[in-house]
Amino acid sequence: MTSRITRRRFGQLSGLAAGAALVSPAMRAATAPDIALEIAPYTLEASPKHRFKTLAYNGQVPGPLFRMRQGQEQTVEIRNGSSEPEVVHWHGLFLPPEIDGAMEEGTPMIAPGGTVRYRMTPDPVGFRWFHTHTFAGKDLTKAQYGGLHGFVLIDPLDPRDAPAAYDREVFIGLHDWGGHFAGSDDGAMSPVYDVSTMNGKMLGFGEPVRVKQGERVMMHVLNSSPTEVHWIALAGHRFQVVALDGNAVPRPQTVEMLRLGPAERVSALVEMKAPGNWVMGEVRKHIQSAGMGIVVEYAGAMGSPVWTQPQQLVWDYRLFAEAGEKQAGARESTRIELTFDSKFEGHGSEERWRINGKSYPDTEEPALKAGERYRLVMKNESMDDHPMHLHRHTFEVRRVDGSPELEGLRKDVVLVAAKSTAEIEFVADHPGRTLFHCHQQDHMDRGFMMVFRYV
Amino acid sequence: MVRPSLLVRASLLAIWCVLMLARVAGAQGNYEIQVYGADTVAPKSLMVELHSNYTPTGQTKVIDGVYPTNHQEHETLELTQGINDWAEVGFYVFTSEQNGHGVQWVGDHIRPRVRAPDQWHLPVGLSLSTEIGYQRAVYSPDTWTWEIRPIVDKTMGRWYMAFNPALERTLHGPDVNQGLGFSPGAKVGYDFTPKINCGFEYYADYGRLGGFDSLHEQQQQIFAVTDLNVSPKWEINFGVGLGPTAATDHLIVKGILGRRFDWGKKSVVD
Repeated sequence: MTSRITRRRFGQLSGLAAGAALVSPAMRAATAPDIALEIAPYTLEASPKHRFKTLAYNGQVPGPLFRMRQGQEQTVEIRNGSSEPEVVHWHGLFLPPEIDGAMEEGTPMIAPGGTVRYRMTPDPVGFRWFHTHTFAGKDLTKAQYGGLHGFVLIDPLDPRDAPAAYDREVFIGLHDWGGHFAGSDDGAMSPVYDVSTMNGKMLGFGEPVRVKQGERVMMHVLNSSPTEVHWIALAGHRFQVVALDGNAVPRPQTVEMLRLGPAERVSALVEMKAPGNWVMGEVRKHIQSAGMGIVVEYAGAMGSPVWTQPQQLVWDYRLFAEAGEKQAGARESTRIELTFDSKFEGHGSEERWRINGKSYPDTEEPALKAGERYRLVMKNESMDDHPMHLHRHTFEVRRVDGSPELEGLRKDVVLVAAKSTAEIEFVADHPGRTLFHCHQQDHMDRGFMMVFRYV
Repeated sequence: MVRPSLLVRASLLAIWCVLMLARVAGAQGNYEIQVYGADTVAPKSLMVELHSNYTPTGQTKVIDGVYPTNHQEHETLELTQGINDWAEVGFYVFTSEQNGHGVQWVGDHIRPRVRAPDQWHLPVGLSLSTEIGYQRAVYSPDTWTWEIRPIVDKTMGRWYMAFNPALERTLHGPDVNQGLGFSPGAKVGYDFTPKINCGFEYYADYGRLGGFDSLHEQQQQIFAVTDLNVSPKWEINFGVGLGPTAATDHLIVKGILGRRFDWGKKSVVD
């Protein structure tokens, strides 16, 4: 075990006592929490032939959907029934670092058998999620590999502020299971998977999505895969993308397929006007054949589900953004240059990931001033795409894949393509330690993280 | 972590041990000098390899009607087609070039191979190869031979290790009644950079299972080798080998140049 892992482990353990002490039995008995989460061992049956022993929230994969209204305080109680320390990250929410759910920011871990209770104020509006934020290392059953994730939908105080009207909502979680390391073309080891699922089930083994002709269905799709990008299409239908990572896009567009990097979400309207039984699934054949798909069934429809194979992979962030020519008098942002690369550690090992030449916990801790605007210029010199996630803030994608200046595309994860530069801007409006990392579990475990601090 | 210098020291010790072995006349054929890794060629792919082996110092006499190996240049074409994610089949054309004999066809072999699928999640790579074929009597007294070769390999950080405990059987020739012979091969390599791996390969023929030849009648070779990982499509291996026993060619230079060709149009959605 390397000294880096030891240091992170120390960070986990040092927070345990505080985490476990947050709630007493008397406190628990006082009032029922608004949000109750129990982490416990669980056997996922992706199909009768594919079972995975893992951990789950409240005995289900994906975990529960928590629906809350913006600004209305929620009481959260989390019990850790597993044998390892755990922490729950509320992804995309503006929460203080003490409860955001990352020990790198200072959130205490929940000891095995321990319970924590706290209050949180949901913000911002939109499709968010929660997931574990622990370390897996070489154990590809732990942390995000294990599928501890669930959905959060924060409704606006005024329903008229919702990005689009719809008749029905459907939540879809994508995940990959049975990971093992294999050599990849870039020369290092990377995880590959035996099974891929939608809502914890392989195609043909889960409950279908039941719809009616004429409905407008809001599909909230989350990619909770520990490492994989996924491309999703619904045969016979198109998606009108209205929000990315829960934030309404300035230019809703209708597209043939969705692309989601790890931790990205897409909210898209689908007009149900093609009666029948259809497959919604991964566009790439080998991943759909590994199980990533779900049947969409119109009321009264007969026959086998139909899949129409697209021949291209098409997605472009720029479709959903406005052109962002600099306005006269626009507020200047402070540039923070970040270069991503990796250090080769043998064909039988994963690479060590670096930001500006350093791996976490040795990475820089840039200082932010509250209220100031910052532009992260991310130069990806590696051979991999990286889903970069900024905790506790929403950022605006300003340049990506060689684009001109963009405006209005607000996200909390952006996929930075290999050998490219992407630029994002955010306002430092949530003081406290703020984690920034690649959302690939194997990459963050191998040092691809840094913390911004407020001064 | 073990430092590369330790590998060098250990290897020098191994060379020294081999050099201490006695020398006795014998025959051998160095047409494909390679320790197999457990991976197989992907489906819809063809691996084309050229094995070039030259013997600067080998057997100088004709023994049992077999041409001397000294200054023989062997060129072997190996074609390996991937069948599926866990099987391939290889085909060899062996040739030899030597003063006084010109370029000669030596023989052909066919080699099906299967491996443990990734879904088994084994801690090591594991595969099983079987090879059958013919070689002309002037190059090998045993004209029809069969080999079964278990293959185990493991990559750990910068280190790569492979072991091939091969068993050989003569189907036609003087050794037809000798039963199974034991011919292990092994490899240890170290990634000095993403593109350069250096290490050692060991080849031997101990003789019949249950009745090994005396040391000086065994074939023993150790090669210092380098593999250049310039591209997933290319395989480049180069080595210099010492054979200290009399049954072994004393100095051999070998090279492997391979290129993978993908069949058919591979779509981004496959």
